[in-house]
Amino acid sequence: MLLFVARRLLAAVGVVWAMSVLIFAIVHILPGNVAYAILGEYATPTAVAALEDKLGLNAPLWLQYWHWLSGVLHGDFGLSLSMDRPAGPVIMDALGRSAILAGIAFVLVAALGIGLGVYAATHKGQASDRALAFAQFLFIAVPDFFTGLLAILLFAAWLHWLPATGYVPIAEAGLREWLAHLVLPVAVLTLGLTAHVSRLTRSSMLEVLESRYILAARAKGLPERLVLRRHALPNALPPTITILAIDAGILIGGIVVVETVFAYPGLGRLLVFAIEHRDLPMLQAGILIVTAIYAVANLVADIAYALLNPRIRYATGVA
Amino acid sequence: MDLTRRTVLGAALAVAATRPGRAAQNVMRIGLGTSPTRLDPMMTTNGDEYIYDNLVFNGLTRMRADLSVVPDLAQSWSYSEDLKHWTFPLRHGVLFHNGREMVADDVVAFFQRLLDPKNSAPSSSNYAMIETVTAPDPYTVVFDLSFPYGGFADILSDRQVKIVPRDLVGQLSAHPIGTGPFAFVSYTPGDRMVLAKNPHYFEPGLPKLDGVELRIIPEMSVKIAALEAGDLDIVWDIPLDQVKPLGGHANLRVESVPTASWDAAIMNNQTAPFNDVRVRRAFNIGVDRRDIVELTLFGQGVPTISPIPPTHPFYATDITLGAADPDGARKLLAEAGHPEGITVPIIVPVGRPVRERLGVTLQQLLKPAGFDLQVQRVPFSSYDAEVSGKAPLYIDGYFARPTIDTSCYPFLHSKGSWNSRLWHYSNPDVNRALDAARLSGDPAKQKVQYIAMQHGVYDDPPGLFAYAVNFACAYAKTVQGVQTHPMRWFDLTHATLA
Repeated sequence: MLLFVARRLLAAVGVVWAMSVLIFAIVHILPGNVAYAILGEYATPTAVAALEDKLGLNAPLWLQYWHWLSGVLHGDFGLSLSMDRPAGPVIMDALGRSAILAGIAFVLVAALGIGLGVYAATHKGQASDRALAFAQFLFIAVPDFFTGLLAILLFAAWLHWLPATGYVPIAEAGLREWLAHLVLPVAVLTLGLTAHVSRLTRSSMLEVLESRYILAARAKGLPERLVLRRHALPNALPPTITILAIDAGILIGGIVVVETVFAYPGLGRLLVFAIEHRDLPMLQAGILIVTAIYAVANLVADIAYALLNPRIRYATGVA
Repeated sequence: MDLTRRTVLGAALAVAATRPGRAAQNVMRIGLGTSPTRLDPMMTTNGDEYIYDNLVFNGLTRMRADLSVVPDLAQSWSYSEDLKHWTFPLRHGVLFHNGREMVADDVVAFFQRLLDPKNSAPSSSNYAMIETVTAPDPYTVVFDLSFPYGGFADILSDRQVKIVPRDLVGQLSAHPIGTGPFAFVSYTPGDRMVLAKNPHYFEPGLPKLDGVELRIIPEMSVKIAALEAGDLDIVWDIPLDQVKPLGGHANLRVESVPTASWDAAIMNNQTAPFNDVRVRRAFNIGVDRRDIVELTLFGQGVPTISPIPPTHPFYATDITLGAADPDGARKLLAEAGHPEGITVPIIVPVGRPVRERLGVTLQQLLKPAGFDLQVQRVPFSSYDAEVSGKAPLYIDGYFARPTIDTSCYPFLHSKGSWNSRLWHYSNPDVNRALDAARLSGDPAKQKVQYIAMQHGVYDDPPGLFAYAVNFACAYAKTVQGVQTHPMRWFDLTHATLA
C-alpha cells in the first residue's frame, strides 16, 4: 500500500511538471505578451520594447523557464508581472477562498448525491424517483450562469434576503454575513454537481441491486438496510468516487462561471485574469496548485477504491 | 420593500431573513468590471484604475466635470511669454496619508521617475517636453520645457501624474500612499478595494463620506441586480443599450454625458485600396453618421469629424456631416478605379461589444455605397500584435485625453506617437495646424488652427471618425453630490448618501 501511494505521488509530481512546461509554451505561443497587457492603450513599440527588457522577457525561453523553476523549487513563485507584487500570497488568498466554497459544496454534493442516488435507485419507477429524475435533468441541462443569475434576481434584487455578490472575511463581518455571502454560490454549485453525482449513483446502484449476490443476501434473510449498506453500496460507489474526485478539482480551479456571476474572488477567476494579462508567474503558480489538487484527489479516490474493494487492495498490494 | 410582498411570502420567515437595506456606515460602494492591476498611479492604464487614481491621489492641477482645469496641489500657475518656463506655487501644509507634509521635492522626484526610461511609465511620452524640473524652495516647482507648450497645466491634471511620497515609492504597488480625499486600506484582486476617508484632507470639511469601496463584479446584469438590491450605490460605465431601459427604474438614476472618447474605422493609408484618398472619402460620404450613432450606440453619442467632440468650443461648426450619398461614393470609387465597388475585410475587436457593433453597422450601411465589407472577428487582446497599424481596415477607439493637443496630435500628426500604429496618415496642412496650435498659449489662436485641422481631416480623412461616445453611470437615488465626469472618473469629495 505504501509503495502504491509513493508511486502515485511520484507520477503526480511528473504531471505537475509537464503541466508547467505546457503552460509556459502556450503562453509564449499566444499573441501579445504581458508588456502589451500592462501598457494597455499606451503600448507604443518603444514602450513595449523597454518594458520587455525590464521584465526580462528578452532572455532565451529556456533561461526564463529555468529562472522560474529554480524559484519555485526554493518556494518562491515569483513576482506577478501585471500586479508587480509577489504571486504566491495573491494565489494563496484566492485558494483559501476557493477552498471554503469548494469544501462546503463538496461535502453537500457527496452527501446529497449519494443519498439521493440511493433513494432513487430503491424507489425506481415510483413518483418520487421520476420527480427526482426531472429535477436532476433540469439542473444538468441548465447552465450555472443561468441558475446563478436567476438566484441573484430572486433572492437579492427582489426578495432582499441575501447579498447579490462578493465575499466577506468572517473576522471582519461576522459569521452571519460570511454565511449569507456563501449561500447562493454554494447552492448553485451544489445543485448542478449533485444532479450529476446522484444520477450516476442511481444507475450504478441499480446495476448492483440486480446482481446475484444481492439476491443471495436477500435470500438469506438480511434486512434490506443491511443489504444496501453492506453489500450494495460499497460495490456501487467506485464510479461515484471517480466523479467526486474530478469534482474536487473542478471546484477548486474550474468554477470560473459561478465565481464570475457571483463576483467571488476565487482561484478560477484569478487564473482567467492571469491568462488575460499573460501573467506567466501567476498563471504557473495557479495551475501548479490546481494540478496538484487534481492529482491528490485522484490519489485519494484510488485509495478509497482499495479500501472499499479488497480485490483492488490485494491486486495493488502485490504489484 | 413593500408590505404586501412580505405578507405573501410569510412574514415570520421574511423578517428573520431580510437584510438591512444597506450597512449603517457612510461608505459609497461602486461596481467596476475588471480588477485594477497596478496600484502605482504612474503605471495605471485603464478606466477602472483611473477611478482609484483620482480618489487616493492629487495632481498639481485637476480637471472638473465641466472640463475646466483648476489648481489642485498647486495654488496657481504662471508661465513665461515663450510658454517654456512654468512655475507652480504649491499649497502649504498638505499631508500625505502617513502624516508627512507634501513638498516640492516630492513633485520633482515624481517627474524624474516618470521621465526615467528605466521605469517604462506608460504615459511618459506625453511629458517629453519637460527638460528640467526643479524646486527653488519647498513650496515652488519650476518646469523648463524643450518647446513651447500652451496646454502644460492641462496635461498635469491627467490620470497618471499624481504626487506620491518620494521616500515610499517602493511600497506603492502594495501599500500606496497619496494626498487624496480617500486613503488606501486594502485591495483583494477580483473582489474589492477599500478606501477610507482621509481625515487630514486639505479641503476643509471634505470628503463627506467615511469611505469608498470599489467592488469588482464582472457581470453587468449582476451589477444592476446588486444596485437594485442595495448592495451597490453606483454602477460605473453601464452599456449604452441599458441607458433607456434602466432610466425607467423608480429607485435608480441614470446619467449619460458626452465625452471626447471616439471610435473609428481605421484605414491603412499606405496600402491599397485605402492609400487612395478618393476611396477614404467615398467611405466617409457613403454613410450617415447619425444612423451609425443610432444603430451602434442606441443614440448615446454624437457624430464627429476628428477627436475633437462637438461639445468642445474648438469643434468646426462650419462643417456639416450630411446625409449618406451612396451615388457620390460610387462615383468616387469609379474614379479611383473601382467601378464595381470594393470588397475588403473589416476586422472588429471581440471583447469590445460597441466597436464590434460599429463594424457590423458599417457593413450594412455601406453596401449601397459600393463597399462589400467582410466582418472578421479578432480578440481585442490580439490587436496589438496582429492588427494595429497593419490591417487595411479595422475598428478601434480611444479614450478621452485631457487636452485637445493630446487628443489630436499623437493620432493625426505624421510624427504622432499613435499614427504609425493606426493609419500611417500624413497631411501637410494637418501637420502645420497641429504644430501651430501647440506653439500658441492663446485659446483664440488655437481654435483657428484646430478648425483648419478639422477641415484638413474632413477633406483628406485618415479613416472614418464615427462618433464621440457617451459615458453613462447608474446611481441609487440615495447618491447625491456626484457628477458623471466626461473623463470617466469620479470626484467623490462632495458626495453624500442620503
